Amino acid sequence: MTALYLGLLGLLLSLVVPGPLAAARWPDRAPAGAIVLWQAITLAAVLSALGVVFAAPQEFTQAIGSGKLVMAAALSGSLAVAALIVARLLISLYGVSKRSRVRRQRHRTLVDLLDRVEASRALGGSDQLRVLDGALPLAYCVPGREPRVVLSDGALKVLDRGQVDAVVAHEQVHLRHRHDVVMESFTAFYQAVPRPLRSRRPLDAVRLMLEMVSDDGARRRCGAGPLRTAIERLTDAVPLTEEVAVSEGEDRRRRLDRLAVSHTPSVTLTVVSVIIAGAILVLPTVVLVVPWLDEALNYWPF
Amino acid sequence: MALGDLEREVMTQLWESAEPLTVRQVHERLNRDRDLAYTTVMTVLDRLAKKGVVTRSKEERAYRYAPAQSREEMTAALMLDALSASPDQDAALAYFVGQLSPAALAAAIEASRKAP
Repeated sequence: MTALYLGLLGLLLSLVVPGPLAAARWPDRAPAGAIVLWQAITLAAVLSALGVVFAAPQEFTQAIGSGKLVMAAALSGSLAVAALIVARLLISLYGVSKRSRVRRQRHRTLVDLLDRVEASRALGGSDQLRVLDGALPLAYCVPGREPRVVLSDGALKVLDRGQVDAVVAHEQVHLRHRHDVVMESFTAFYQAVPRPLRSRRPLDAVRLMLEMVSDDGARRRCGAGPLRTAIERLTDAVPLTEEVAVSEGEDRRRRLDRLAVSHTPSVTLTVVSVIIAGAILVLPTVVLVVPWLDEALNYWPF
Repeated sequence: MALGDLEREVMTQLWESAEPLTVRQVHERLNRDRDLAYTTVMTVLDRLAKKGVVTRSKEERAYRYAPAQSREEMTAALMLDALSASPDQDAALAYFVGQLSPAALAAAIEASRKAP
């Protein structure tokens, strides 16, 4: 039965829970807690899958009363499949972070060459700042060991000084807190999952939560007003086709809404999400895996 | 002077020139207001060529250097590169402030490229 329960738990965590969690609004008040919760859900789903791989063959062979040899074969099979799953995840993580590093390195080189030095020096402050030509208003950061914050000429035209500072502060939270590492781990997991089972939901939800964390950091430094106006101006200034504008609206609305109200980051909600995250990781092990292991070891074939 | 600054200034000279330049020509242009060693300029051009942002051709027994792309082309390509991200291939390269999808921004860049 353990295998069945673990399997159900895994399906619950990977197929049922993400929908409501992505749609819920409470994470807007505790984005960091929500990120921890997403990480726990993802990790627990992997652990459940590994649990099924070990428990199912063992329980089956025990139930039909197989001999030692068959049980040994079943255990070897389990070990092989589990190793395969773990290897796939690790290879995916290695590949994603390596490719990102190479691309970012290249991007950094080119941004440095194209930098409009007079403009970026005029902004002062950080020596990570770069300004590019181009009418399209863009503001982004390139994370890594030598990070860059990049603004386009177009962005400087639509933003005033306070708004530029808010945007830079927002990007620096991404860089300082290494949000790229969080996103890379979720991307690596996404890629490691077989195609029909993949879901972009955790990826998109975590991405939005990271934006909110950065918004909060920038709000603390520069106030909500300039940041809110900057987000509005940067998006409004981009000419969009109708259908895109509709689908883009939702996430942006959520960010602007929470910047409009006076800030009440909920400590309670954050603590509760972290506790639930811990429970998701620990409880299945204690309730399901340990009793099973206790019994299974009596039949240890080697 | 930092190597990065020098590379950028050499690129600027190449972008501003109508035709490919020899090491000596770049050296002369940069030395209007300072004193750089000829070999330094040569090294920088060599590095830029290795990075693929500069092309080298041999004419009349002298190497001539030209930017691989115009400044505008390279900027547009760079922005598109920052935007192109699909979780099926890679993690996002960059984080944008405005919550717009990369596809939407990329479409806008392409549009602005076509309508100068």
